[in-house]
Amino acid sequence: MFVARSIAADHKDLIHDVSYDFHGRRMATCSSDQSMKVWDKGGNAEWNCTASWKTHSGSVWRVTWAHPEFGQVLASCSFDRTAIVWEEIVGESNDKQRGQSHWIKRTTLVDSRTSVTDVKFAPKHMGLMLTTCSADGVVRIYEAPDVMNLSQWSLQHEISSKLSCSCISWNPSSSRAHAPMIAVGSDDSNVTYGGKVQIYEYNEVTRKYAKAETLMTVTDAVHDIAFAPNLGRSFHVLAIATKDVRIFKLVPLRKDSSSSAPTKFEVQVLAQFDSHNSQVWRVSWNITSTLLASSGDDGCVRLWKANYMDNWKCTGILKGDGSPVSGQPGALSGILGSATAQIIAQKH
Amino acid sequence: MSSGYKPDILWSPHHADRYVICDTELSLYRIGPAGSSETKAGALPLSEETAATLLAINSDTPYMKCVAWYPKHEPECLLAVGQANGRVVLTSLGQSHNSKCKELVGKEFVPKHARQCNTLAWNPVDSNWLAAGLDKHRADFSVLIWDISSKFSPEAVPAEKVRLSGDVDSGLVVTKPLYELGQNDACLSLCWLPRDHQKLLLAGMHRNLAIFDLRNTSQKTFVNTKAIQGVTVDPHFQDRVASFFEGQVAIWDLRKFEKPVFTLTEQPKPLTKVAWCPTRMGLLATLTRDSNIIRLYDMQHTPMPFGDEVEPTIIERSVQPCSESIISSFAWHPSAQNRMVVVSPNRVMNDFTVFERISLAWSSTTALMWACGRHLYECAEDAGQGVAATEKDIATKMRERAQSHYGHDTVQVWRNHVLAGGDDPQLRSLWYTLHYILHCSQYTENVEQKQQSNKQSLIYSGIKNIVKSSSGTTETRRCWSGSDRQTDVPRYHSEERSLALQLCGWIGRGPDIDVEPFLKSLEQEGEWERAAAVALFNLDIRRAIQILNKGASAEKGDLNLNVVAMALSGYTDEKNSLWREMCSSLRLQLKKPYLCIMFAFLTSEPGAYDAVLYESRVAVRDRVAFACMFLNDAQLPRYIDKLTNEMKEAGNLEGILLTGLTKDGVDLMESYVDRTGDVQTASFCMLKGSPGEVLKDPRVQCWIENYRNLLDAWRFWHKRAEFDIHRSKLDPSSKPLPQVFVSCNFCGKSISYSCSAMPHQGRGFSQYGVSGSPTKSKVTSCPGCRKPLPRCALCLMNMGTPVSSCPGTGKANEKADLTRDKKLAQFNNWFTWCHNCRHGGHAGHMLSWFRDHSECPVSACTCKCMQLDTTGNLVPSDSV
Repeated sequence: MFVARSIAADHKDLIHDVSYDFHGRRMATCSSDQSMKVWDKGGNAEWNCTASWKTHSGSVWRVTWAHPEFGQVLASCSFDRTAIVWEEIVGESNDKQRGQSHWIKRTTLVDSRTSVTDVKFAPKHMGLMLTTCSADGVVRIYEAPDVMNLSQWSLQHEISSKLSCSCISWNPSSSRAHAPMIAVGSDDSNVTYGGKVQIYEYNEVTRKYAKAETLMTVTDAVHDIAFAPNLGRSFHVLAIATKDVRIFKLVPLRKDSSSSAPTKFEVQVLAQFDSHNSQVWRVSWNITSTLLASSGDDGCVRLWKANYMDNWKCTGILKGDGSPVSGQPGALSGILGSATAQIIAQKH
Repeated sequence: MSSGYKPDILWSPHHADRYVICDTELSLYRIGPAGSSETKAGALPLSEETAATLLAINSDTPYMKCVAWYPKHEPECLLAVGQANGRVVLTSLGQSHNSKCKELVGKEFVPKHARQCNTLAWNPVDSNWLAAGLDKHRADFSVLIWDISSKFSPEAVPAEKVRLSGDVDSGLVVTKPLYELGQNDACLSLCWLPRDHQKLLLAGMHRNLAIFDLRNTSQKTFVNTKAIQGVTVDPHFQDRVASFFEGQVAIWDLRKFEKPVFTLTEQPKPLTKVAWCPTRMGLLATLTRDSNIIRLYDMQHTPMPFGDEVEPTIIERSVQPCSESIISSFAWHPSAQNRMVVVSPNRVMNDFTVFERISLAWSSTTALMWACGRHLYECAEDAGQGVAATEKDIATKMRERAQSHYGHDTVQVWRNHVLAGGDDPQLRSLWYTLHYILHCSQYTENVEQKQQSNKQSLIYSGIKNIVKSSSGTTETRRCWSGSDRQTDVPRYHSEERSLALQLCGWIGRGPDIDVEPFLKSLEQEGEWERAAAVALFNLDIRRAIQILNKGASAEKGDLNLNVVAMALSGYTDEKNSLWREMCSSLRLQLKKPYLCIMFAFLTSEPGAYDAVLYESRVAVRDRVAFACMFLNDAQLPRYIDKLTNEMKEAGNLEGILLTGLTKDGVDLMESYVDRTGDVQTASFCMLKGSPGEVLKDPRVQCWIENYRNLLDAWRFWHKRAEFDIHRSKLDPSSKPLPQVFVSCNFCGKSISYSCSAMPHQGRGFSQYGVSGSPTKSKVTSCPGCRKPLPRCALCLMNMGTPVSSCPGTGKANEKADLTRDKKLAQFNNWFTWCHNCRHGGHAGHMLSWFRDHSECPVSACTCKCMQLDTTGNLVPSDSV
């Protein structure tokens, strides 16, 4: 049973990204109004905006949280060609009593010559690492050698994907059997340039990232990409937002550990849905990777779920404004029951 | 009129709910909510929510080429129509009693030479000015600017006028334009510049775009370009203009008019309409011929003026407003955000809103947040009851199970399946299997001591291995109990086979091989058919019949069971009897699997029990027990192997009975985790493995880590801690070392008593005041050098002094929960300090101080100790 309610966001322009922290108690939003907001969940489950500040000199595309063991750290990327690492500082003023928190800029990463389109922290077990990708087709991996000093980041790797990058996703698997892996999507719409999703894998021997796979069947512009939380599974699942929602399964083929060649994968398409009519903008997995949410040009949020046979089907649809889609069998509530979704406007 | 004429669409500039469709005639529609009382029965549905009502039709002006709506409020429904012969006619829709309107309607503006009128535009400021763009006629002017208020000219030559339409009063004809522009050229498109209403942008046939200033018509700025089929000014950036030609759109900055700022990717088909969105900055919609797609170009992130070095980012989108049908034209709604009406060649209309890109994210607790435009929506999972458990997501299930202490019942292990909700047959089977395994192993431990450690590990290695090690099988032919007839059914016995039966739960542990207690428990649970089948397999027909009778007479019993009992009682081992014949054919119609296998057993040849062994609706444990009784040493391992592989393939937890907690079992669990993501069950199951060998498997470690991570993300920290304790019993290596030592200021040694005694077994906390062993030195001093410990910043006692339980703020009476209070009182004695200013004291005192203060209690210390940590402010969600 899902109930949608609206939150007074008070951004002056389009919101481009929302991001939850590890515990789901904090949230960050970023917008074309060049600002970011941080929200904390109050005791009554309401979201309170505890910080709002101007961050970049252009639209802010994405915002993402670091794992809390590195502190309260956010990263943002923008049209202004930079990515910025932010840290919350406490105790300096009486802000806390007013319910406000203070975020300061720890570093600005200025290596890109073009708009930085995505920013993601690497999985926690790899240490504090930050990845950016930009419209000029370069993926950059930074590392903070000293997690106590977030103003120092060194550029560890530069991967050139040759195509304008729009999104990146780290494989979250912490299993030692899986080498660090990152998937990069390109929004280049020229179908003749071939596969728009490239997967790079870290090689322990060469200490470099090498291309392990290109998903040749994805030839249209890719807008979002998301590895599913691995949760101890023996394979990887990748969701792609392109002109349809696509779910790929990557089964690593066994290899001898001494070889320096990248892992080979058996790639299967688990599902392909064009019910968003044309472009799909975002995909997101839940924590157990059993539910996938997608949004697209039809202005709807759709939820997908697999049955035990690995057959994926739509279990819920909600319009972008939160209203239920009339006449749809099993609207969003369909995931868990039969109640209808409803809107409760939250007054501030 | 040619039937190929495609309808165009035009919104009223002032009425947000009205628009005009023009093809051969002008039709005025009003748009309203569908199904409301306002909209009549004849309303055309435009979308799920809206419908249009036809208000008026005007077919006075044939040969329409272009239409423009008068921009002023009054008169409201005045339209200018450009015709194929170049005339511009003013007409109106609906009844307007406005005198000014009456005066204007029917007025005609006639060019000197008849040619097609391509475009019309009202001046946005001086609304009397109407610009008309015409085709080329020799050296004549192609742009005529009419003043609609001008008096009709008496010298109009009626002879020159080709009467195309009915009875237009020749008295209303105007032939003298206010301005004439664009000599020796054709005008395909034109628009007034909003920045300066005296300026006009023309797109001419001579491959140029030209800006004319009416104050000085001889001067013009122009640029050569092919993109002249249409021009339109961005309402939000008045210097930004889009013009198009064939499939290409060029974007211009009027301040740098030499060349287009950029061109959009070319479309394969020619464009028919290009329009800026009036409600959203930098959004351009384009339509190509015979297409069902409207392409949108989002230039929001293109800075104006365009810097030379900045590449424009244009986000291209395409929308399909009416699925497969072709779009003839579209029009943006003047005020509703991103809304448009589209019309198809056969006049089917569609109300459509272009959605902003929605970004979304899941939280760890299965709440979905998305941003649509400037708005945020959260869709939280409601912990509603009455939701079918099978439909719940595994994340929800794991959370609920963690809260009900699933996996933690180590005494009655089978009960864990009840803690898990009790509705999953696989979990039920798994926990019963684990229960029997632990049960048997405890028994062998107690009774047979360590002599048979071999057997001990055998129990954990599953029936597959037990059966393989089987030796000394004996064969018996028992009588049907209650009859003295010899059966020809051979039954096999061996020590290993009875162990397998024990693990299946059919017989109790020890030498006792009586199946009766098992039957009793099945009867209690109302599993009549299963009990009857088990009785029958133990060759006790009488007991089976008795069970069935009981089942029929029980509450909510199935009376059919009596019929089955009757059929059963007629059993004969005569090979060719009618009973046998009927049973073997009719049993296939039985719905209940256990009844089915009973008759399958009775009618099978000895040793050929496939109908029983491969009846997949029967629990694996019953089939395996059956196999252990009736399959010989050659058949049994083959069957068990086959079944094991099947279970491993499917990730079916019932198969743990066969694989035990071995590598095979981990393989099976791996495919279960791959299928379900249920790392919780996987972790708890593997933690039951006694030798702990399976725990060393990296996959198992990975599941455990993932499960702990889930608990952390859900803030089930208490559950995680309990899980760790549970785990450390089996896997001592997982125990963390002491985390913090406090050393004495004077001697530098650790001041912890427990730590000094047992350096590596402390719980990691330095606890004072409660370790009151009388032989030790005073608790308020360092055990190494006997110097006193620091003082509490609040009570100024040396640390280690038991603190009074009254927190000093007089709130003691408010506390109702005494037991909880007592627990806290112990904690009150702990020494705490701020890591920043390194002032501290008794935990209880510090807590009560910081309830009302934010600064450190030590004088002149301004440290805001309580606000230094954000993670610490998070409360675990599993505490009461």
